[in-house]
Amino acid sequence: MPNAALELDSVTRRFGPVIAVDRISLAIEQDEFFALLGPSGSGKTTMLRLIAGLEQPDEGQVRIAGEVVTDLPPYRRGVGMVFQNFLLFPHKTVAENIVFPLRMQKMDRAQQQKQLGWILELLHLQGLEARYPNELSGGQQQRVALARGLISRPALLLLDEPLANLDRELRSEMEVEIRRYQKELKIPFVYVTHNQEEALTMSDRIAVMRNGRFEQIGAKTEIYTNPASAFVAAFVGHANRLDGQLSEIDGGLARMNWAGGQLLVPRPADAKSGDRVRYFIKHEDLEVTAAGLNGGGLNGHVANDINQVSGTLRDIIFKGQTANYIITLPQGTDLVVSDTPRTITLKPSDPVIVRWPAGSGACFAAEGA
Amino acid sequence: MSAGSFGFGRRVAPTAIILAAGLVLLYVFLYAPILYVVYTSFATDVVWPFPLDFTLTAYEDLFASSLYGEALSNSLKLAFGSAVISTFLAAGGAIAVLRYRSRRRGLVMFLFIAPLFVADLLIGISILAFNARVLGLPGNLVSAMAANAVQGTAFGFLIILAQLVRYNWSMDDAAMVFGAGPLRCFAEITLPTIWPSLFGAFLIAFILAFNNLEITFYNLGAIPTLPSVAWGSLRFGLGPELFALAALVNAFVFAIFAAMYGLMKTGLVKFGYRGQ
Ligand SMILES: Nc1ncnc2c1ncn2[C@@H]1O[C@H](COP(=O)(O)OP(=O)(O)OP(=O)(O)O)[C@@H](O)[C@H]1O
Ligand SMILES: [Mg+2]
Repeated sequence: MPNAALELDSVTRRFGPVIAVDRISLAIEQDEFFALLGPSGSGKTTMLRLIAGLEQPDEGQVRIAGEVVTDLPPYRRGVGMVFQNFLLFPHKTVAENIVFPLRMQKMDRAQQQKQLGWILELLHLQGLEARYPNELSGGQQQRVALARGLISRPALLLLDEPLANLDRELRSEMEVEIRRYQKELKIPFVYVTHNQEEALTMSDRIAVMRNGRFEQIGAKTEIYTNPASAFVAAFVGHANRLDGQLSEIDGGLARMNWAGGQLLVPRPADAKSGDRVRYFIKHEDLEVTAAGLNGGGLNGHVANDINQVSGTLRDIIFKGQTANYIITLPQGTDLVVSDTPRTITLKPSDPVIVRWPAGSGACFAAEGA
Repeated sequence: MSAGSFGFGRRVAPTAIILAAGLVLLYVFLYAPILYVVYTSFATDVVWPFPLDFTLTAYEDLFASSLYGEALSNSLKLAFGSAVISTFLAAGGAIAVLRYRSRRRGLVMFLFIAPLFVADLLIGISILAFNARVLGLPGNLVSAMAANAVQGTAFGFLIILAQLVRYNWSMDDAAMVFGAGPLRCFAEITLPTIWPSLFGAFLIAFILAFNNLEITFYNLGAIPTLPSVAWGSLRFGLGPELFALAALVNAFVFAIFAAMYGLMKTGLVKFGYRGQ
């Protein structure tokens, strides 16, 4: 097997009492788009800085293309990086900024210009060569930062929330673009973000990080459909959270007592009857219909392998392609259902029924219970 | 146009008048003596130069005297050397204070600027005594440069610090990731961004050392500088050539600042970096 593009071996970094990165091991393959997803302070930036050599690990080893680089300074590691606030050199023109890595490599001028032409075309930056960074729009600055990171075709490109400072429209445009560059150039990308949609759109594989550790690492579809912990279930995608107690175990499924009724949920590992659990079901897995003839009063009811709950439609939040239906249940909690806005003709304060397949969603032992 | 503009038939707010008058008085306070010296340098009678009886004899006397020529050359050397030393020390100090966080940062900073609160006379005598008694060094141009650099460093430190606090050190991280070693990093990224403050520190240290009498005097003794020659010739009264000298020194300093201002205005040189 050829060497992985990047390997971390039980890497740890402490700042006083804080363990920013806690015994992380990881291998990233040659043409992989890898996303590091986690909330603020989970250690994502510290991990990138450890890979780049801007931080030294207290323990563990970093290997790039099979070579141990743990003791090499950043300028000997040959990685590229795109920083959150771009960090373009303000006194250098766009062209000077972009060829900076090539100049540091002492590449000859003709070759530099050739590479510059190539990357300017790839990133649609022609005509901006002579401008200074403060004469560019946010999106253009972003492209320049990306060009500077990519021009030397580094062994690895690290991206630290590169889209965080862009407006929404530009962001979704750049998400697609960045993924395209990665696939075209076949350079492994390590992409840090706290935005789960970004991670899901762009990456092949995702590691969800929390308190310096990986909660889960896997293909993005796996992370999305099969969260390994309550934290991942809550963090990735949009899910309703229902707290209840198991009453009956039935193979891979379990009955959960909830709000006076019962729901059929996946059985958490090692769960016993009587355990307190937290159940997550994604907004788009639910279906809402008018209560109609078969009436209300279904407060947690399983029929024909369908979980059913009745409630009152409180509000419809139109999102374009989808709409969120906010349903208030009799005991006061809210459920959110995401559906196409055309399919139903419901009005606020209509009685409704929410249905979803029994056993779908994810269920975990309640934390600290 | 609103209140505050000085036009016919327009109402002017009384506060604006008071403020304007205050400003004028302040400028008079600052500049009247200097303008008086310049004015008098062109007068035949320096004791009571009103009305002006224009003459250039004071300047002719000044240029005829070989003493002033030698003194000027010494003063320029002294000022240049002292400014170079000050700028290096101040820049190193300011960078270190900002880059390496320490709980004693306040104390470190205070110790850099503390020499500003020590009288020139004391600095001069102490350095002379220390050099002569402890180190066994004679007073010469070099020791005078070093002595003047004490205050130059303190001022320079303040000036450089003021710009450096706004410098984004992550910029160096970026340069390093892209292959620049520490020296390359400083030359390519840090220096082009902070050089105006280095230049400012250099100018201030230069002017301080150029004008200094006490510190220089104790460390140079018989070697003439402009301030010491001027001081010496005071023994024979306030001669016309002293007015000419004062006028020229002021013109020189003024010319430096006017040149800087001009460079900035025309955009030929940008002080401060092109911020975001
Ligand atoms: N230089 C430092 N000194 C002390 N503590 C630090 C330092 N850098 C990071 N930390 C701490 O390490 C932890 C992880 O920080 P890090 O910047 O890696 O988080 P992050 O996941 O990038 O967060 P964000 O999404 O907000 O950027 C935090 O608790 C932070 O306070
Ligand atoms: Mg971060």
